[in-house]
Amino acid sequence: MGVVRKKSTPLTVVRYILVLVVVAWAIFLIYWGVVTSLKPPAETFTITGISIPFLQFQPTLENWRTELSTRESRFTLANSVVVAVLATLVAMLLGVPAGYALARFQFRRMKNRDLTVWFLSQRVLPPVVVVIPFFLLMRTLKLLDTQLALILLNATFTLPFAVVISRQAFQELPAELEEAAAVDGCSDFTAFFRIAFPLAAPTLVAVAAICVAFTWNEFLFALALTSLKAKTFPVYLAGAEDTRGVQFWFMATRAILALGPPTVLALLIQRYIVRGLTFGAVKG
Amino acid sequence: MSLKNRSIKYAFILPGIFWVLAFTIFPLFYSFSLSFFRVRLGKPARFVGLDNFLRLFGDYKLGNSLRITLIYVAITVSIQVILGILIALLFNQEMKGKSLFRALLILPIFCTPVAVGYLGLTVFYEEGGPINSILMSLFDWKIPWLSQPFWAWVAVLLLDIWQWTPFCFLVVLAGLQSLPDEVYDAAYLDSASEWEIFRKITFPMIQPVVIIVLLLRLIESFKIFDVVYSLTGGGPGTATEVYSLYTYRTGLKFFDFGYASALGYLLLAMVMVIVNLFFRRVRQVYE
Amino acid sequence: MKRFLFLSVGMVVLLCFSVVYADMTLTNASGESITFTDEELGTIITSGEKPFEGVTITITVNQGGPKGGISGPLYEWRDVWEQLTGAKLNIVEIPYAEHYPKVMTDLLTGTGQYDGFMIGSDWMGELVAGEYIVPLDEYVKDPRFPKWDPDSLPPSIRTLYTWGDTWYGVLNDCDGQILYYRKDILNNPDYKAKFKEKYGYEYNVPPKTWNELYDISEFFNGWDWNNDGEADSGIVMHLKVGAQGMYHYASLSAPFCIMPGEKVDKYHNVYWFDPEDMTPLINSEGHVKALEFQLKLAKTGPDAQVAWSLGEAWDYFLRGKAVFTFSWGDVGSLVQDEARSKIKGLLGCSILPGSYEVYDRQQGKFITMDTPNVWGNTTGGSWHGVISTLSKNPEAVYHLLAFHGTNKISLWNVQRGWTGVDPGAKFHFLPPYGTASLDDYVANGFHPEDAKEYLKAYYDNFFAPNIAPYLRIPGGNEYWVALDRHLSEAYTGQLSAKEALDRVAKDWEDITNRYGRDEQLEVYQESIGYAK
Repeated sequence: MGVVRKKSTPLTVVRYILVLVVVAWAIFLIYWGVVTSLKPPAETFTITGISIPFLQFQPTLENWRTELSTRESRFTLANSVVVAVLATLVAMLLGVPAGYALARFQFRRMKNRDLTVWFLSQRVLPPVVVVIPFFLLMRTLKLLDTQLALILLNATFTLPFAVVISRQAFQELPAELEEAAAVDGCSDFTAFFRIAFPLAAPTLVAVAAICVAFTWNEFLFALALTSLKAKTFPVYLAGAEDTRGVQFWFMATRAILALGPPTVLALLIQRYIVRGLTFGAVKG
Repeated sequence: MSLKNRSIKYAFILPGIFWVLAFTIFPLFYSFSLSFFRVRLGKPARFVGLDNFLRLFGDYKLGNSLRITLIYVAITVSIQVILGILIALLFNQEMKGKSLFRALLILPIFCTPVAVGYLGLTVFYEEGGPINSILMSLFDWKIPWLSQPFWAWVAVLLLDIWQWTPFCFLVVLAGLQSLPDEVYDAAYLDSASEWEIFRKITFPMIQPVVIIVLLLRLIESFKIFDVVYSLTGGGPGTATEVYSLYTYRTGLKFFDFGYASALGYLLLAMVMVIVNLFFRRVRQVYE
Repeated sequence: MKRFLFLSVGMVVLLCFSVVYADMTLTNASGESITFTDEELGTIITSGEKPFEGVTITITVNQGGPKGGISGPLYEWRDVWEQLTGAKLNIVEIPYAEHYPKVMTDLLTGTGQYDGFMIGSDWMGELVAGEYIVPLDEYVKDPRFPKWDPDSLPPSIRTLYTWGDTWYGVLNDCDGQILYYRKDILNNPDYKAKFKEKYGYEYNVPPKTWNELYDISEFFNGWDWNNDGEADSGIVMHLKVGAQGMYHYASLSAPFCIMPGEKVDKYHNVYWFDPEDMTPLINSEGHVKALEFQLKLAKTGPDAQVAWSLGEAWDYFLRGKAVFTFSWGDVGSLVQDEARSKIKGLLGCSILPGSYEVYDRQQGKFITMDTPNVWGNTTGGSWHGVISTLSKNPEAVYHLLAFHGTNKISLWNVQRGWTGVDPGAKFHFLPPYGTASLDDYVANGFHPEDAKEYLKAYYDNFFAPNIAPYLRIPGGNEYWVALDRHLSEAYTGQLSAKEALDRVAKDWEDITNRYGRDEQLEVYQESIGYAK
């Protein structure tokens, strides 16, 4: 696909330069984070220009070693992983069947369309509106500073992805297969698990990855609801700014550690990002 | 179809519905009731009627953060969408290394926003940060990024634009690539100019996609919290104290839960107005 | 080899000592040792019974890391203390801006995750009023615990650690802001002559009033007076919002707006609120004038300082780029650290300047005094440990805090800039004011002249006849934050001095009303010693 048109050479060169500028802009911040994390702290701001490693300074892994050997960074990383994975699991367990139901069955009282939009509407809700009731709720339930609280919340906020996108994935599968299975005496559950689920698996994996990434990146709730044991990595990251100023070297190391996992996931599910983040409204 | 009307469907969908009711609708009601009380932890809540809502009108800090947020949303969303379209047009043709470039452009989208804010802190650092050190060596001039209200605001905008323009680009590109080639052929025969082709053919055809992008970005932009929290902390002064940050502080730093709930509801109302402008369009998508 | 020899000699010496005196030598994480007497350590340690075996206590502290201000010493002595008592110490670092809300969340919700807190003194009113922290008087006398000396603190600092006559905090940090200046530059005859030519008078070293300081700062700002090839500044301040910037204003403004008097009454010795009805005084004429002055003064420093927190501003002064700064004791000890400082031995220190003109609220006008109106201050957190009433092991917490409050550890901390622990107790000062020895300071890396200047200035400050009142009523932190935010609006040019302070006053009224005016008034009167 795409529109192929003949172009005169100079314009192509201009286009290429523009493309490179755009790409450079897109990766600059990440590049700078990586470079800063590789500099000895004393040289953070003494190396000028764009600080090319090896050319302009001798990179060191010292900051990384310090950061990874700190107890706090390890357990907050572990917390982030646990919360992201379990929240995604819950969201998928609730969302995929719901998406399937919306794709395959007809709902009367509230139409399928409206149900879908209803699920979707949660993404509209600004988190700060519900952070206070959640805080008080978790306090009553004695769940402040627990992973469970974060899992419940993040599952809620990623549920729309799971529902809406899996609905679309199932809609795109021909229903005939399941109908044939039903004729053969399969129950609806078996038809769902044996036939529809495997066929939709690639999309569902992508949805799961999106849920993991969003949960991983979540900050507001983690800040409000955790204090010690359940602290996630982004909240820990916020601690690199101490009373006497910013420790840029640790901050950069932590920032890169924080954004590493979600960006890798993003690369793995490239093909699904458009569909995923637009809730299937645009097909990539 | 045989599958259409089975009661088994409820087994599939009800858990999800109950979950949402429990974790979204309930907190919303709870929050609504809170907004009629003066709540101090450790002391009994006191019913104050509409006090908290009346306070909204006299609160200049609210006015400040509302103004900041609205201007911010308007600017960041329009720049992101316009840049997204331009970059998508740039990429919408054969070129070497396209898939690599596209992959690199995707990176910002999934970056942890708090981390982005903190990386911003290093990049915008005034004495020796990369941008200022380059400016210094070229023009002997540096930008007071985080010490001046205006520039701090620009810094926040830049980070947000950095993170979300790629998303707009990606979606618009997907829209462009789904257009059939034939529509252009006739135009080429007419030898219309690039701009005319874009205005008369391309844009009308990708307009639905652009509207989706616009809506999604509008909704998300109202939520902004993380980047501001980490980059400027709302400062200098209150120059970048966006709505979510103000609400968060009122509620969870000073424990004025009732008023913070009222603030939350005002934000919700604004977002709902915007969503309703697009509502019909959204429903069509899921027909 | 040398190291080995050193170690073995050390071991032998140590052994001899332990046989003869039964004293205990403890070595911290930096590898430095201090010898304690049995009395200093208390019977819990000397008995060797380890009664806290199996107990874990959790202490919150400002984020700073193992070599950070206030947090550092906890790490420094953690291993030793754990070995001696059998307890485990869990250090929870929380960024400054989040520390207060996190602590209050824990207390208000009754969660009880933390056993103790290293608090800023402005939280005290709230903690005491809510009965969230444990009074210490019983513990202080108890010979089981390490010995620290409450009487060594000057009255001004003592006020911050106590409520009424009851002790709640254990000696740790003593905060107050003093003036730091470059002795070598101000005494340079060339510069003095040039100054006289331009301003028509000869300045005092150190300056006696803020106006004089302004002239000097203006004179030195914007040219290269230290011959490093770059233009330098007159003064440097840390004015970043959310990072203790408001404390600068609090110390600077006192002489412009507090009328000294025999006792605390409606018009005298008050700074924050009218002690009869809680009306904020923060936007009164004296305050506005003080802030206008500070805005003018800030122009004689680097532009970027409005976004600087402590470390950045201090480093600027340490690198020799500014003639003046006024800040906490950290600066004096950091100057001695040659890895960071280029000005060791060149340091001048004094109590903050005064003002001839002060606003008299009774007469409703500025009056001119015969001698400058000078106020000492206890501005800052004076960060110290308190025990949560929710703690299940208050004794273990007290033991830890008292251990850190012993004369020897306290002095060790004071002599090192990175600890963030600043001098104030009698045993930190040199004779005739105190009992520390200059040799000891020199042995710990101080330049003798710097040490004398520095400690004398702190003594003058904490023992000044007038000490500016400190705000520590419930909601204390919230009042401070409101001040901080609106000051920052003024520093960054968004508002005029008057507008900014009007906003502060408005916010303060809101806070007072929310907490309840009558309750607040009562605590306020109590906290400043106002007698009806």
